[in-house]
Amino acid sequence: MANAFQRDNELSFVYRGKKGPLFRLSLVNTILTVLTLGLYRFWAKTRVRSYFWSATAPGGDPLEYTGNGLEKLLGFLIAVAFLAIYLGMFQLFLSFAGLSLFSGGTKPEDMVFRVLFAQASLLALLPFIFYAQYRARRYILSRTRWRGIRFGVEAAAWGYVWRAMGHWFLVVISLGLLLPRKTFWLEKYKIDRTWYGDTRLAQGGSWPMLYRAMRHIFIAVGILILGVVWAFWDDSVSIQSLSSGDEIAAGLFVLRLVPILFLSGFWMFYGYVYYSVTSFRLLAETKKLGDSVGFTSHPVPWRVFWRRVWGTFLTLICALLVLLAASIIGAVFGFSDISLEADVFGALMTLDPFEIAYAVFVYLLIMGMFGVFYIIFVTQPILAHFVVNTRILNADALHEIEQRSRDEMVEAEGFADALDVGAAI
Amino acid sequence: MFRSDVTAKYFDGQSARVHMVAVTVCDHLGAPALEIVQPDKPPLYWPTLALRELTDQARDEGIVLQLDGEGEARLIIPHGHAEDVIRQISPNLRKRPVKKTMLRKLMFWGGGAAASVALILLVILPAMSDQLATMIPPQREAALGRTALKQIERFMLGSQKSLTCTDKAGVKALDKMIARLTEGADIPYDLNVQVFDHKMVNAFAVPGGNVVIFDGLIKASDTPEEVAGVLAHEIGHVFHRDPTRLTLRSAGSAGILGMVFGDFAGGFATLVVTERLINASYAQAAETGADVYAHGVLRKTGLPSAPMGDFFDKLKKKNGDDKGLMSHLASHPNLAGRAKAARDASAVSVDDFEAILTKAEWQDLRGICG
Repeated sequence: MANAFQRDNELSFVYRGKKGPLFRLSLVNTILTVLTLGLYRFWAKTRVRSYFWSATAPGGDPLEYTGNGLEKLLGFLIAVAFLAIYLGMFQLFLSFAGLSLFSGGTKPEDMVFRVLFAQASLLALLPFIFYAQYRARRYILSRTRWRGIRFGVEAAAWGYVWRAMGHWFLVVISLGLLLPRKTFWLEKYKIDRTWYGDTRLAQGGSWPMLYRAMRHIFIAVGILILGVVWAFWDDSVSIQSLSSGDEIAAGLFVLRLVPILFLSGFWMFYGYVYYSVTSFRLLAETKKLGDSVGFTSHPVPWRVFWRRVWGTFLTLICALLVLLAASIIGAVFGFSDISLEADVFGALMTLDPFEIAYAVFVYLLIMGMFGVFYIIFVTQPILAHFVVNTRILNADALHEIEQRSRDEMVEAEGFADALDVGAAI
Repeated sequence: MFRSDVTAKYFDGQSARVHMVAVTVCDHLGAPALEIVQPDKPPLYWPTLALRELTDQARDEGIVLQLDGEGEARLIIPHGHAEDVIRQISPNLRKRPVKKTMLRKLMFWGGGAAASVALILLVILPAMSDQLATMIPPQREAALGRTALKQIERFMLGSQKSLTCTDKAGVKALDKMIARLTEGADIPYDLNVQVFDHKMVNAFAVPGGNVVIFDGLIKASDTPEEVAGVLAHEIGHVFHRDPTRLTLRSAGSAGILGMVFGDFAGGFATLVVTERLINASYAQAAETGADVYAHGVLRKTGLPSAPMGDFFDKLKKKNGDDKGLMSHLASHPNLAGRAKAARDASAVSVDDFEAILTKAEWQDLRGICG
């Protein structure tokens, strides 16, 4: 089969998304979502996915997203019917326990208790979150087609839940050292249950191979440790001098510590991006579809990193410009001092309803536009970078793949929507 | 019409193989159709009435067609003359009929979801928060209230230092007032009443028996009995544990509403408004309850409640009454009604009662903030 995207039995990927159409699409989505008090969000997400999928074209043939908003809404309603009472009582008991156990104290240990308690209470939600994530992935892939052939994922969400809990537990008690193990085994669990048509995917490799991807996280931690040691090195700075309130010593200490914290924090963020990009590459290169189809991928970590930093900056600038424009328009209409007064005893909402409406409108506008710009400046460029740097090896074997039957999944990704743990796109 | 020279890509939906096909418009069984010809295979006929196109596509290679809404096969026709012709003769390209069974499912589960949300918001949460509020140890509540007060001073009123007024004679007058109002009352906490040095005409209660009156309210009152009415109202809130109950309840309902509306752009704002609408009716009941409590206290201590009504009228004059939409958003019932209720409840004539403070003490209270 002659194909411009195929050479030496290797299939390259093209990304065909553009800023303009995506901007218009997400702008319309945002407006409709706001006007319908959020109801349109199911269609909005479906339409953006359709766009991203159709822009991603392995071998020039685009992916197709066949999900629709109505089935997503239905799935959400099912999830709400099941979860509302549980979630409401959960939150009530949470705040009750918070109030009766740890409230009021302003001492540091009280604060620590409260933070720990909030984290511990999240644990009760964690199984549902993992469950929802697995199901969401299954739904999305069941609605994904390439060359007319569907993807599919086996129904195995509870097995994923306890594995994910166990692996995360090990990550936490090993202070992150077992992160590659978690990444690898969870990916393997998901991939080994994923099908393209009648052909199964398989994750090869082993978890220690991902330690390479941890490199920059280790560097960031190293900077932090060395830096703190260095900050304490000077004899004039000791624990005693700090606790005794020696202001000069404390000032010197802070002066040394701040740049170290800043540098290691920044490096940690880079380390995180480096880890996710590199582990994606290593895992992609050890994946197999059927017996012979393989993949290569070489996304560049620092490009992804820079896209996130620079793209977020551009997003902020654009959102600020919108805010500025809205403020100017507001000032023209005389809505200059919009402030909310406390309404406690008999103090009424003394604001002009039009001013409130305008303030709400501006708030919605800014939040909405932030999302629109973010998708243009961050989400799409990063997606494009991953797509164009991926290739399929031994592509001729793809012709032998046959269709699989439809996975109905009435609940769609409703649980993920209800718990707000849906996929990024 | 176009001739058979248009070459298109065809995926049969059975295998991942790409087929190059020739497409023509023809007449099939009396209706216009696309004839799809592959080498060595019988031609396929797709009636134009059943053609659907995929939407929200980023691709630049052409129009993507499928048969009905559910066809597995895809036909990709390059942009150009052929696409224009197909668009002209296929009226249903963008039609997506919704199945009846889908609508039934939506109605069923929509009803289920609504019932679930209504049950938790309107029945379970109010009942449980009323119950749980009585189970929190009072000293915890008191501590919580103190923290809340500090935050109010800092964030709401923007003050770094404490706003509490401490003029000795003023505090003594206030204590005398409190003592008379709480005589024989079984209040679940140690009452802690403070005056904040702020010009707002307001007063409020936070959990744990903490009550705050703003200096602005004292200055706006003409008689100590007006202040006493307000104070009795706030003590009513304390007596009913309203601040704690409301805190618990809104913690629960905020989570539910967040789930229902999602975090769409600005979902937060919708959330605040909806949460207010739901809790306001509950809070209005709490306000009426506190008013009734205040009327009772005033009657028992031999004070008229008409001055309380005067004070509401004053507020109304200053701020305007809240009617219509705004009265639903505000947690307090409308002022005219409250003023009337206070006057109707008055058991003592305004001309004949033992004043709660002497003239000198009233001046002391007015000077509590120096």
